[in-house]
Amino acid sequence: MLFNKRTERIFIWVFFPLALLMPLFLAENAFYISKMTSVMIFALFVMSLDYLVGRCGLITLGHAMFYGLGGYLFWMIAPEYEAVNFWVYTFYICMIASAVALVIGFLVLRTSGIYMIMITLAFAQMAFYFFSDSIEFGGNDGLFIYVKPETSIFGLSFFNLDDPVHFYYLCLLSLFNTLVFFRLLIRSRFGRVVDAIHENPGRTTALGYNIFLFRLMSYVIASALGAYAGYLFTLQYGFVNPSMLAWTTSGSALVMSILGGMGSIYGAILGTFVYEGLHYTLEHLTEHWMLFMGALIIAMVMVFKNGIAGYMEKLLEKRS
Amino acid sequence: MNTQVSLDLEVMLETQGLCKYWGGLKALDDVSLQFYDKQLHGIVGPNGAGKSTLLNMLCGHYQPTRGSILHKGEAIESIRPWAFARRGIGRSFQKTNIYSGATCLENCCVAVQRRMGGNFNFLRSRYTQKVLDEIATEALEKVGLRHRRDVIASQISYGEQRQLEIAMVLATAPEVLLLDEPMAGMGHEESQLIIELLKKLRREYCIVLVEHDMDAVFELSDQLTVMVDGQHLTTGTVDQVREDTRVKEAYLGQGDEVF
Repeated sequence: MLFNKRTERIFIWVFFPLALLMPLFLAENAFYISKMTSVMIFALFVMSLDYLVGRCGLITLGHAMFYGLGGYLFWMIAPEYEAVNFWVYTFYICMIASAVALVIGFLVLRTSGIYMIMITLAFAQMAFYFFSDSIEFGGNDGLFIYVKPETSIFGLSFFNLDDPVHFYYLCLLSLFNTLVFFRLLIRSRFGRVVDAIHENPGRTTALGYNIFLFRLMSYVIASALGAYAGYLFTLQYGFVNPSMLAWTTSGSALVMSILGGMGSIYGAILGTFVYEGLHYTLEHLTEHWMLFMGALIIAMVMVFKNGIAGYMEKLLEKRS
Repeated sequence: MNTQVSLDLEVMLETQGLCKYWGGLKALDDVSLQFYDKQLHGIVGPNGAGKSTLLNMLCGHYQPTRGSILHKGEAIESIRPWAFARRGIGRSFQKTNIYSGATCLENCCVAVQRRMGGNFNFLRSRYTQKVLDEIATEALEKVGLRHRRDVIASQISYGEQRQLEIAMVLATAPEVLLLDEPMAGMGHEESQLIIELLKKLRREYCIVLVEHDMDAVFELSDQLTVMVDGQHLTTGTVDQVREDTRVKEAYLGQGDEVF
């Protein structure tokens, strides 16, 4: 079975139908639709990070580089006043981001542990200052996207990206597909080797695997999906700016991944929603929301040893 | 000096003037040995004699400072560590080194899959290839762990984990087996199991066995090498080595009563 944990199946059956029905009740309230959309986009980004950190054991603080890159790439390659095809540009952006990830991964993956954290951070900061200091890319203010792409396939158009509800469903579909894709990847034979490398790299080398190749491949896949999330973000708000590439973006994504349960993949959705939910609630209660947020996250990480997903599994899985 | 007898068997693995220096420390100094196919070659020596260093170089884990390693006549000392296993040189580890969170079967499947292909197949399930499972099960059968097939590796006994360790090497379909103290930390009965296993295996593979258990080494070895302080002292059959006075002095000090 693709989703081999009961907890995960329950989560999917609760979350996705609810998310599917939500616009029916809240269609009037554009704010909630837009908020949910952005949280789902970020959940997709966290999911790609969760795969790298939790499944491959590659801890990176530079994943936001690809998030931002997704946005900037769209601005770079798309004509300014002409609607392009969404699917074609999704393909372009993922391919270019993969090529970039291939080069950066080649350098970054020679290190591991704390050194890898540092070098990924260094690359991300380089990208951050490159975009925030260059006038061509709008500097600190970023850039506007004036025309949203159209989404026709062979003349049939299912989504109108200017409609928030349509865009909401596109993001929901993307999130679901990414979840399924990662589950397939983990279950595949490639996933077997990735699991083996995560648990015991030395032994895996001794069995004849070139572990560098497998890590590079995982890095490229996760980075391409990270860029896709950034691309969606850009389309939603119609702008890109350097804060997308800031290390704080990587940092909060990492916190969400840990909060949700590292390596569980669906935990990324849980983590992102809980984090953003807390953020939203506390922000409205007090000016010093960050203080309480920090304390709450520390408490949750301490109580839920393997994240929220791990805690739910402890409650719901049958004892073997 | 070379006291090694040449046999009418194929030389699988050979070292020529192999050296490993850690700074000023000569962990291994000018060691030349030949390992024959379908023979078990024991390596003994006191702690710090360089046995593990030698083994770690034979499997590509360390790069030699000087000297070369020949596999079927080809120099391989500069190839990447993972390429050693692809050439059929498999090793087991001194400290148990398994995927302890996975089942015994899965442990062996990782080993089998490398040569079965599909390592970059992103979509097809890892559980669909029955042949892979069968070959992995065969490897478990060989070491007598078939009944533990679906048990998580961390939950089997220490002795069984050592057996699994060997099963994983066998699952890679090697020609050369480098075994680093497979009986370390085992009780008498468990050791006996491994000895029986090695007796079965030694006519099928070229085995290099580093081991502290003297009785086991004497019982199993076709060829025996004694190393002291990173240097090769002597090589010969078990009887030759037993008679060698230098071995008694260098290796056992004044311990005549042992032999």
